[in-house]
Amino acid sequence: MADAKTAIMDQVRQQAALQNARQLVEKLNEHCFERCVPKPGTSLSSGESTCYTACMEKYMAAWNTVSRQYLGHVQKGVGSGGGFGGI
Amino acid sequence: MDQLSVSPETAESLKNLSQKDKQELNQFIQNEGQKAQIQATVHSLTDTCFRKCITSKISSGKLDRSEEPCMQNCVDRYMDANLTVIRHLEQMRHS
Repeated sequence: MADAKTAIMDQVRQQAALQNARQLVEKLNEHCFERCVPKPGTSLSSGESTCYTACMEKYMAAWNTVSRQYLGHVQKGVGSGGGFGGI
Repeated sequence: MDQLSVSPETAESLKNLSQKDKQELNQFIQNEGQKAQIQATVHSLTDTCFRKCITSKISSGKLDRSEEPCMQNCVDRYMDANLTVIRHLEQMRHS
């Protein structure tokens, strides 16, 4: 039986993961809808779907680049508005 | 890290945690909070920099030779700008 401490830790991790996924989906859709569906029709065309795939991959690649770059700064101790401790 | 709803049993057993466990849990929650903050910043930065750097038609799923450095520069310049804002505000406070 999982003790209270482990239960809380699991729940915190889960919520963090959910939050992250939610933010990602929101941004992906926002950007790619903008780019790929300029004039909404009665369904998503195959061209629009292909565009979506490329757009999502591109956004994820951008996300990874930003993450690496930003983490580099954080680890050096330069944080927005103050230092971050070791993560 | 917004709300965390726990079952009444868990809430009850939390009271019986050792001092060591409580400290560990506290530290863990702080760390997770920091990680979440970092993630949120990465999302926000990606949002902004994507708009600035990925301007042409999207044909491939990779960042091309100009887009990758642009994204990196974007992050760096944003942080420079952030420092500038903070310094300037400090100046305004002291004058």
